[in-house]
Amino acid sequence: MALSIGLSSKRRTWRRILQVSVIYLLVLVGAVSMLLPLLWMVATSLSSSEYATTFPPHFLPSHLYWNNFTQVFQNSQLVQGLLNSVLVVVPSILGQIISSSAGAFAFARLRAPGRRFLFVLCVSTLLIPVEVLLIPQFIEFKYLGWLNTLLPLIVTQIFGNSYNIFLMRQYFMTIPVEYDEAAKLDGLGLFGIWWRIILPLSRPVITTIAVFSFTYNWGVLLTPMIFIHNTQAETLPQVLYALSQTSNLEVVPPWNLIMAGSMLLTIPMVVVYFLSQKNLYETNILGKL
Amino acid sequence: MALWRRNGRKIRNKVRYNRREVIGFYLFLSPWLIGFVVFMLGPIVASLVLSFMQWDMLSTPQWVGWANFVNLLFQTPQFWQVMGNTIFYAFILVPLSIVLSLLVAVLLNQRLLIRSFFRTVFYLPATIPVVAVAMLWSWILAPAGVLNELLSFVGIHGPAWLIDPGWVKPSLILVGLWSVGSNVVLFLAALQGVPKYLYEASGLEGAGLFTQFYVITIPMISPIILFNLVNGIIGSLQVFSQTLILTNNNPSGLMIIPYLYNQAFQFFQLGFASALAWVFFIIIFALTLVILKWSQTWVYYESEVR
Repeated sequence: MALSIGLSSKRRTWRRILQVSVIYLLVLVGAVSMLLPLLWMVATSLSSSEYATTFPPHFLPSHLYWNNFTQVFQNSQLVQGLLNSVLVVVPSILGQIISSSAGAFAFARLRAPGRRFLFVLCVSTLLIPVEVLLIPQFIEFKYLGWLNTLLPLIVTQIFGNSYNIFLMRQYFMTIPVEYDEAAKLDGLGLFGIWWRIILPLSRPVITTIAVFSFTYNWGVLLTPMIFIHNTQAETLPQVLYALSQTSNLEVVPPWNLIMAGSMLLTIPMVVVYFLSQKNLYETNILGKL
Repeated sequence: MALWRRNGRKIRNKVRYNRREVIGFYLFLSPWLIGFVVFMLGPIVASLVLSFMQWDMLSTPQWVGWANFVNLLFQTPQFWQVMGNTIFYAFILVPLSIVLSLLVAVLLNQRLLIRSFFRTVFYLPATIPVVAVAMLWSWILAPAGVLNELLSFVGIHGPAWLIDPGWVKPSLILVGLWSVGSNVVLFLAALQGVPKYLYEASGLEGAGLFTQFYVITIPMISPIILFNLVNGIIGSLQVFSQTLILTNNNPSGLMIIPYLYNQAFQFFQLGFASALAWVFFIIIFALTLVILKWSQTWVYYESEVR
């Protein structure tokens, strides 16, 4: 990078060596501080309950207790939570993709009176903060009788959202209109153009939105805490939260079980991220903002 | 459709709409439109009305005028404490996180062995769901947790991180810093977009590494700095899960959204909580505007059109 003109080559070499070692030192220190907490999570999830709660704590379990994970799958609350989370996440992602891409297709390709106004409206809803919406939504769902079911969590997702519509519209705009026209000549209607031409060409952006939607719905704690107050319908983050809250300060929460449950929450997320990395990069979210 | 002025007169150019296209437009947009009306427009109006009412969901709602706002702003010292906590948290965490992630991004942008491994390591914590992150750290930061255990090796008697009023917010900030990875990725992408010749040219003129960083790198990636700043501030002002799990309503770590949650869904003060939501929204909005205005003095857009 910097050419240090005027320095003797020997001094330059020394400087370079010093520079490189400082860089490696900093990166290593950073990497270790990123990894240690994670290691601790894995270690706790694999230690026995006595081991996890002995004071002082040990850094690595002397013996790996894989049966924490069997225990997780035998804990009916955690299993129910996992199942509920899956039941929320799957329809939410599918609905999100279909509704958002349909809306984006309308904005990107179809001309109609009111389009400009609606587009501005759609983008400006990005500014609306969730906290303003939560109380009326709670009242709405109470009157619908949907509290304590998974419906509020799903229904608020499947109509698409303006961020995703905006992101997809920007992507659709980069697809040449000639494809649509060719498809029209081949006798495809609007639905066919959207479903058979635009969507198959938009894999990166669809993946991106699926990942965003998964991240949000899989990890969210606020909305389940508002809409769900019975153990049958609790999602996985909620169950973990409940487990960690002991009514008595003297009682130590079952940390090994909580960490094993947290691993259960974490692993799908990490896998999804690494599988979709390439698509996320291709969408180039940065460039579109 | 398009309206524009020419010679001071409005002229409407005639666009002939295709009927099928128009119907198609509204059909394709209908899911979003329905969702918008039912879950946004309706709730916004309801929330505004509610903020002028007193209602606990049991008795009949009563119109109380500005009473909720007056009560919140002038008669509830706890609100200001919570607001102070929240602003402290956001305005310390976000700048720290930006500096740290920029530093990491610059380091990772050098020619390193196993660079992609390091990139993954720094990104990994950012992919972990917030609830799991909070669980992990409440375990690490417990009074007899692993951090204090480590500190005792070097003879330091660590505080009760999440209970001691003086340490609660710094601990929350520490936890927030662990997830800098997503900022790092954005900064890395931005750094790779800075043209190499700028460094070569300035190097020939004798600019050192730090000068180059200050004069070239920072201005070139300033739009991303702004993006991370605004996103970060808005996001951390609305923090919920971390503080709920880690501080368990400890007054020195209580933030606005958990406070709002308690008021609305524990005490069922729906009118008061709605007023709180609006005041909070206005504060966030104003802060964002101030940051955007301030950013005009230091953000550099390459394709600037004046």
